[in-house]
Parts: sequence; structure tokens; C-alpha cells
Amino acid sequence: MKPELNRRSFIGAAAMAPLLAACGGAPQQKQKVGTNTKTGLRAALPSYVPSTSVKADIASVTGSGGAVTEPAFLSYPSGGIATVQGVPGKGGSYTAVTPLWGTVPPANNSFYQAMNKALGATLTMKPADGNNYDTIVTPMAAAKKLPDWIQLPNWWNAKFGTDRLVGTQLADLTPYLAGDKVKKYPNLAAIPTGAWQACVWGDKLYGIPSFSTNFSVPGYITYRRDILEAKGITPDQVKSVEDYMNLGKELTDAKRGVWAFDDVYTYMGFAWDIPLKWKVEGGKLFHKYELPQLLEALDWHYKLAKSGYLHPDAIAGRNADSNARFYAGKVLISGGGAGGWHLADYESGVAADKNYRRGAFDYISHDGKSPGRMYMGEAARIISYLNINLKPEQIEECLAIANYLAAPYGSAEYTLINFGAEGVHHTMKDGVPTATEDGKKFVQASTFPFLASPPLVISNPGADQVTKDYAAWQAKNVNALIKPVFWNMNISMPQQISLLETSQAIDDAIKDCYHGKKTVAEVKDVIDSWKKSGADRLKGWMTENVLNKYGTGQ
Amino acid sequence: MNEGLTRRDRLRRDRSLLIMVAPAVVLLLIFSYAPMVGVITAFQYYDPLIGIWDSDWAGLDQFQQLFADSRFWHALSNTLYLSFVQLILFFPIPIVLAMLLNSVLSERVRNFVQSVVYLPHFFSWVLVITIFQQMLGGAGAFNQWLRSNDLATWDVMTNPDTFALLVTFQGVWKEAGWGIIVFLAALAAINPGLYEAAAADGAGPWRRMWHITLPGLRGVIVLMLVLRLGGALSVGFEQFLIQRDAVGHEAAEVLDTYAFYYGIATTNYSFGAAAGLFKSVISLLLIWGANKLAHSFGEDGLYRK
Amino acid sequence: MSQRPSWQEPPTLAGQSTKGVTLGGVLLIVLVPLWIVVLTSLSTKGAINRAGGLVIWPDGITFEAYEEMLKGPTVRTALLVSLGITIIGTAISMVVSVLCAYGLSRSGSFGHRFILVLLIVTMFVSGGLIPTFLVVTGLGGYGQWWALILPGAVSVFNILILRSFYSSTAAELMDAARIDGASDWRILWSVILPTSRAVTAVIALFYAVGYWNSFFNVMLYMPTESEKWPLQYVLLTYVNRGVGMPGSVNAGFGMAHSQTAPLSLQMAVVVLTLVPLVIVYPFVQKHFRTGVLTGAIKG
Repeated sequence: MKPELNRRSFIGAAAMAPLLAACGGAPQQKQKVGTNTKTGLRAALPSYVPSTSVKADIASVTGSGGAVTEPAFLSYPSGGIATVQGVPGKGGSYTAVTPLWGTVPPANNSFYQAMNKALGATLTMKPADGNNYDTIVTPMAAAKKLPDWIQLPNWWNAKFGTDRLVGTQLADLTPYLAGDKVKKYPNLAAIPTGAWQACVWGDKLYGIPSFSTNFSVPGYITYRRDILEAKGITPDQVKSVEDYMNLGKELTDAKRGVWAFDDVYTYMGFAWDIPLKWKVEGGKLFHKYELPQLLEALDWHYKLAKSGYLHPDAIAGRNADSNARFYAGKVLISGGGAGGWHLADYESGVAADKNYRRGAFDYISHDGKSPGRMYMGEAARIISYLNINLKPEQIEECLAIANYLAAPYGSAEYTLINFGAEGVHHTMKDGVPTATEDGKKFVQASTFPFLASPPLVISNPGADQVTKDYAAWQAKNVNALIKPVFWNMNISMPQQISLLETSQAIDDAIKDCYHGKKTVAEVKDVIDSWKKSGADRLKGWMTENVLNKYGTGQ
Repeated sequence: MNEGLTRRDRLRRDRSLLIMVAPAVVLLLIFSYAPMVGVITAFQYYDPLIGIWDSDWAGLDQFQQLFADSRFWHALSNTLYLSFVQLILFFPIPIVLAMLLNSVLSERVRNFVQSVVYLPHFFSWVLVITIFQQMLGGAGAFNQWLRSNDLATWDVMTNPDTFALLVTFQGVWKEAGWGIIVFLAALAAINPGLYEAAAADGAGPWRRMWHITLPGLRGVIVLMLVLRLGGALSVGFEQFLIQRDAVGHEAAEVLDTYAFYYGIATTNYSFGAAAGLFKSVISLLLIWGANKLAHSFGEDGLYRK
Repeated sequence: MSQRPSWQEPPTLAGQSTKGVTLGGVLLIVLVPLWIVVLTSLSTKGAINRAGGLVIWPDGITFEAYEEMLKGPTVRTALLVSLGITIIGTAISMVVSVLCAYGLSRSGSFGHRFILVLLIVTMFVSGGLIPTFLVVTGLGGYGQWWALILPGAVSVFNILILRSFYSSTAAELMDAARIDGASDWRILWSVILPTSRAVTAVIALFYAVGYWNSFFNVMLYMPTESEKWPLQYVLLTYVNRGVGMPGSVNAGFGMAHSQTAPLSLQMAVVVLTLVPLVIVYPFVQKHFRTGVLTGAIKG
């Protein structure tokens, strides 16, 4: 029995070793809490040198609150010029992991090869399933096995522990990009400052932003323009939440299977001036849970759920099918995430109903008396990072590659990154890049741009009406956008404090309320018990460590 | 049969049995027992990036929070209630179905039914609930038919009061056909000669079922029952996760969804681990009790007494 | 068609019709959703969007969904990977489980109660996802095939079922063989296995289905090695297109497709999942009808 015993204890030890290695040994860096200082932030941020290489068909408009609409293009610019001379790479090999919401293309295909040739480096793209990306990355980080280059979308910052990964596993890019140093990478320099701000932790720059925009909104209330226009309803007639309720009555026809509303709470709440998290009034900090207007808004939504104007599937919480309901004309007014108004949406809608046209209502205030408003979101949410183990010259090579990937809309680089090589992966038909068979198989446009990309534009080649509609809506609403407190500020909290910041119990109760299952009074009870169980600790910490030290960032 | 044998004798006698068991035990030691170090995190403020050895100790703080949370006790009682309903309404169905199928004479009918009923097992919960919503939901086929006939509608998918029945019915629909397979195997192991002899003795179909079929199934039924009781705190996860919004969070909250929402989903890993550990301990007690109970009825349960 | 043994009573009308109605009802509630799933997988985008969800009546038929999926260059490799993992995994699991079940089937054997407890504890206690991940990657399992098989190779549930059959159905046979001086290996091979074909087939099916459908280990241990993915995981990426992407992500993603996968594609995945089972199941089912003990006693 002895040999077997030995073998078993050996295997046991071998299995334990990694636990020991991964969990201990390395010196622990004490977590730095708080946020960026004004001067530190200014020193870390790259200079901004806008690109002038392509002229938009519909130019940007700047709003009174600092928002800027996205430039819009009607046809795809032909014969795009190259913005990068020669190849950016120096023959290095890097592995990059990005989330992908879609079909993973085969490894080492002709598109990847074409890209590597153009980059002058071997950049092995390893897209991972976007829906489970948080589950995939968390253990990778715990085992300290992050790749050379990784995309960490910022809505998962708490889950990834991004504030603790920077500086321990992710490289500091300040020495390479701060101030005028970024001018070595002109396409990166053309990314607006706000987006870079979302990449700064503890006064140091760590991330490279993708899909940056100065018109960052969570969403809007969207509607079936074709159907409502036929009934003579236009956005100008909807000035208050009462108008919405009246529309509910007018449009609902349950017998025919048509309901006026899908879930709208997420985007309607702003009409009552409910912030995403915090609000400062008279120099004092308030969490959104304790604002009286939250209950007011819930009261309206509770009534909506009880009114019979809300689609039963929405009441059943079936959000995954909400697009299908919208296309089928079974709901006419819905909450729309900002990413949902584009070519593919148009194609899906037209497949169901050839008259399909999406529209969006203007931002309002709930009583219709004060001007409409909407709080801006971060100027970039898709942020990539480099591994701390890369040598300085490797980091420079990766940044040169990022500069290539951030080439502006319509440039030769942009065309290659998004549509592949002309003649191989796409051909130009009436000014629209059209995928060939190889293009359909191999070009996955949501891989490389997740490492770095130029600022967002509105462009839907082949569906100009969509571009015009969306650009017109942005221009009409740009003045409604205002910056919330702590906008674009990365705040690092001690774990026990951050756990208080969102309350699953309250969020659950709120949802139950706007689905008509809990009264406002019941929600208030849940909020009261949250207040008792440590909300003051959270507020105190925020006031002391963020508000008093750094201000609101406005 | 162990009388008079020393430990050494028994070891020698059963040597080959132990060698047979070894591979499974080794695999479990590596892939189940080694990771159980993770149970420690229930007594910490665990941060995966810092690791188990360097995370701060919490003592029993996580458990205190857990036991002080009324939502936890609600989830627990809800779980037990649902488990009970499932035990009464779900557990017997595969057994009855298996016996019914076994009594069908036409092989063609039997084979066809058998090879169809197990298919829903392979539908995901998302799909099953989508189908239910489209049939029985507030805007589903059934309610639209009621509406078109000016009848009152009946939205069973969002009714918290009938939720226990709904999820049990969904469970039966999805899993009963798959559940019969084990019992079919047990039925196949019954010696047909027994039936013939009983018939010769004048026993009718019902008596044969009572005296031959059921005793033939008894071992498996008791085993499944003991395992089911041990798993009383696991009534399903995804099924409840998906329907949480539909019936409200109170009706659909079970221990597993509670641990998920208040643990992993909110990165409160240690709290989730504490809830998990609580569940583990109670489950082990339950299965130990169920096994004792089986023994007291003279059954083998998990192992012979 | 009926093979009624001579000793069995002729069927009564009441009995037959009760059975018929019950089975008919069972078939109906299974076949209707199956019909909906298959039909939706064959429906055009327009038909689905007009229905606003799953399609109940045919409105427009197309094979596009299947074409899109099967044309994908990765699907063929993935199919081979899936078959490989399922066959090798099932073989390993079966050997380990059958041996273990037999090894524990003799009540009163050395340490058998202790080992059973050791096994049962693992059904209810788990160290959690991250510790398991650290153990597997620490042993060098990241990106390795064995990481998809070995961590889940032992199902205690399955072992308990096997063990229950072994110890109840063949106790006398076993004792008899032992008295004849047969070794345990011999008894397992020539007495137990031939007389318990039905349960062996069932447990093999359980394991095979588990391996065929498993994707969680793939997600953990080779989330980025797309050329090594099994079929289920590849199909998942077709279905999951855009599903979990928060609506508040920046507008448009440029040219990226942020819409959800067409429902037809999702349903085609379901159908494709069922196909191998529909093929394999009859072979398993065959073993249900052999009166197992008769063979052993007569032979």
C-alpha cells in the first residue's frame, strides 16, 4: 500500500501547490482608495489633436452642457487615404483577448493574416464569449494569467477589480501617452479627452478607450415612427409623463395583440431627474435611493403597469424578446439602449414590416414645465489594457498598433479593419462596402476595434434614412445632455463600502414595483432598511474621500 | 460475514475491491477535495485578486449577516416549500410513466413514445419558459383566444400564488420523460419468469404489479428518494432565475438564486460562500437523516446498514 | 404486432383506452412544442418577426439558419472535437464508475462505508469556482483537453445508481461466483456486466449526454482557443450574439452587429442538439427489453 499512499500524497501536494502559489507569496500592494486629483489627472491625460482627414456629411453639433453629437456619414468614403506610413509593428508577437458578442471566426484566417501583414506584427486575436466574459476573466486574473493585451469593459470594473489590477497586473501607460507624448500616435491623439479620463486610475493612465463619444447616453424612449405617424402622433406632442399615459390609452388594443408600452423605466426615470448613482444638492451628497423623486417616478410606473397599457410579456420580465415585439408591432413605445438604432435594426424591422421606421421621443421633464434633461454616461466604456510584464519597447509597439487601429472613419486602415481587404473580403457596390463569401466567413468587425478604435460616427451604408433620423434626433436633444456629478471619475472603494453602493434588495423591489407587483410603500420600506444598514457609512465615506477631497468633477 | 476477521484479513480479502475504487477516489481528491480549501472564504472578506491566504479574516461575520437577513430565511422556507411540492407532485410521475410504458404491449408504440418523451430534457430552461410564455402568458395564445371571445384573461405566468404549481408542471414537462430511463432499466432487470409463475398461480395484473413490479423497483425508488431528500435545498436555479421578474422576487427566490444574487453577482464572494456552506451542511444532515429513515424501514438507502 | 405472452390476460377495452388517452396526452404536450421549435428553425426572418416570437403556423419556410450554421468553417472541426471528448470522456467515466460501483457494492467490505461517505460529501460540498480553477490551472490544465474531461469525470450520482443495481440484482450470483473461487475482476467482467446491460447503457447515456452538452469547463479552461471548442460551445456563440450586451454600451459599435441572433438560428441550434440523441437513443433503448437475468441463469 505504501507506493500508492505516496503517489496519492504527491498528487495532493501537486494540487495544493498552485493554490499556494496563486494565493500567496507575491508582495501585496495596499489598495489605493479614492479617485484622481485634479492636477494629477491633468498631468496624466494625453493632449487632444482632432483629426481632420475626413469631412462628415452631417457635422457635429455642440450642446450647452458640453455634449457633442456624433458626425454622420451618408455614403462610405471611397479611396480612403492611409494615416499611418509603413507598418506600425516591429515583428513582435502578442496575444489579445476581447469579448465578442457574435460568431467567433476561425483562427489564423485570411483576414487575420491580412491584418498581421498590415500591422507588421503577429497579433493573435482571441475573442471570448461576451455574454460570459466576466466569468471568464475573473479566474484568469485570480490565477494571474492575463494575456498581453486585454479588453475590460468598464461596466464590469467592480467584478474584474480593475482598480486593483491596474499597477499590479496591468501596465501604466502614462510615461508613453501623457501630454504631448501622445502626438507620436496621432490617431490616439484624436480621441477626445473625456474618453481618456475614463482610463485614469490614481492619477495614472492605464487604458486605451474604444468607441469613444461625446454623446454618451444610456438610451431613450423609442417608438414605431411609421405606425405613430400614420396616427398623426409626433414627438412634439409628448411633453410630460402625462402625455405618455394618454398615448398608452390611445394606442393599446389588447384584443388585436397591440400594447402601447414595453418596459420604459430604465430611460424614463431621468424625466424625474433621477441620477445613475449620486446627486449633490446644496453641497450635500445624496444617493439615488434616498431621493423623493425616485418614489414619485415609481408611482407613475406602478400605475402604468396596472393600467393595461404595458405588454404582458414586459410585465413577465421577458426583455430578451422585446426587439421581436417591437418589430412585430405588438408594442409601439419601448425603452431603447443607445446601441440599438442602426442598419441591422433597420434590416430586421423591414423584414417584418416593409414600412418599419424607428423614431425616438425627445428628452422631457416629468411635468413638462422645465426643459428636458438626460445625464451623460462615460465617454468610453470599452477600454483595453496592456500587461505589466511587457517590456517598454513592446508597449511602444503595441501603442503603435493601437494607433493604427484608431485610424479615423473612412481611412484605408479603417476599411481594412472593418471590412477586410478590398477584392478579397469586400467589394464596393454603389459606395457600400459589400462582403464577399470570404468576408462573411472571416471578417469579424468586432475584434480589432475592441483594442482601440476612432471616435464613434453615425454611418449605415445602404440605409441613409437611419443615419439621417438618428443624427437629427441627436442634434435636437444635444442641449438636454448634462454631466452628472463624478462624471468620468474612476472611484476606487474599499470592498466593504462598494458592496453598499448598490442594493440588490432595492433594485429587486424597484423592478417588482414597475411590474406592478409591489406598491411604492413597500419599496420605501426596503429603502428604509437599507438606510439603517449602512447607507450612512457609504455616504460618509464618499463625502470624506471623494466629494471633500476632489469635488464633483464638474 | 465479517465475524472473526481481523482488519488485516479484511484488507487482504478486499484488496482488489479497493484497487477498483481507487481511480474514482483519486479524481475526487484532486478535483473536489483540493478545491474545498475554498470553503475557508466563507470566514473571510475574500478578494480573488488577493487570494485566499491574504484576504482579511471575517470570523463568523458573514454568517451573522446571513442569519440576520430576513430575505435569507424567506429563501430557505420558499426552497423547502417548493421542494415539498415537487416531491409530492413530481417524484411519482416518472415511476408511474415507466410502469405504464412497460405495460404497453405493442413494441412499436412503446419505442415511439419512449424515444419522444425524453426530448424536452434537452431544451434549455430559457426555451421552455419562452414556450410557456407564448402559450400561457398574458399575451399568449390562450389569453388572446380568451380576449377574442370577450372572456376574462388569466395570466398564470405572473401569478405568485400559483407559482409553485407552475414550476412543478414545467419541471414535469421537461424532466419526467428523462426521469423514466432509470426506472425502465430497473424494470428490465426484473425476471420475466416471476410474472409467468405469478400468473400461473392466478395473480391478476394488479396483484402482479403490487407483488413483482413494485418490489423490483423498490431499491431504485428508495435510492432516488434518499438522494432527492438530500437535495431538498436544490430545487433548480436557472428556472427561477429566469422567472424571477415575472412573479416577483419574493415568490421566485430560492437558496441558489439568493446565494447568486447576494454573492457572486454582487462580487460579495464570501457572503455567497457562507450561504453555500450553510446549504452544504444542511444537505449533508438531510441525506444522513433520509438514509437513517430508509434503514429504519428496513431499506438499504445509500448503503446497507 | 402485440407480443403478448401466453400467460398474460387479453387486454380489456377500458384498460387499453385509459392507456391510450394517457399516452396520447403525454405525446401531445411533448410534440406540440417540438413542432414549434422545428418550425421556427425553418422560418424566415419575416415570419418570425411577424409572429413576434416562436412560430406556430407555417408562414415562410427557409433552410437559411441551418445553412448559416453548418457552413461555418469551425463547425466541422467542432463536431470532431465533440465526438472525441464524448467518446473518450464516456469511456474514462464508465471505467472509473463501473469499477468504483462494483468496488463498493459488497456491504461489509473494507472501508466501504468510509469511502461512500467520502464520495457523497462531494455531491453537496464544493470549494467554489475560483479554487477549482486554480487547482486545474495549477496542474497545467489551462487550454488542455483533459481539463474538459477529468474534473467532471466522476459523477457520484451515477456511481450510486450503478452500485444499487449491482448490489441488489446480482447478490446471489456474486456470492455463488465467489464461492466458486472467481476473482472480483472475473465476477465483474463475466457476471455483473453481462447481467446489467440496461443500467450500464443508461449510465453511459447519462455520461455521454453530459460530455456532449458541457460547455462550462470549455468556458473556464479554453475560453479563447476557438479552434479547440466543441460543437455546443460554438453553437452557443451563434445564439448568444448580442444577448447580454448592455444597451447602454456606446452607440452602434461602429459597424458591429449588436442585434440578437435570429430566433430561427437559436432554434436550429436546439434541433441540432437533439439530432445525435435521436440517432443514439434507439441503441440504448434496445437494452431495456432484454430479460437480463434469464440469460445468466439459463446460460
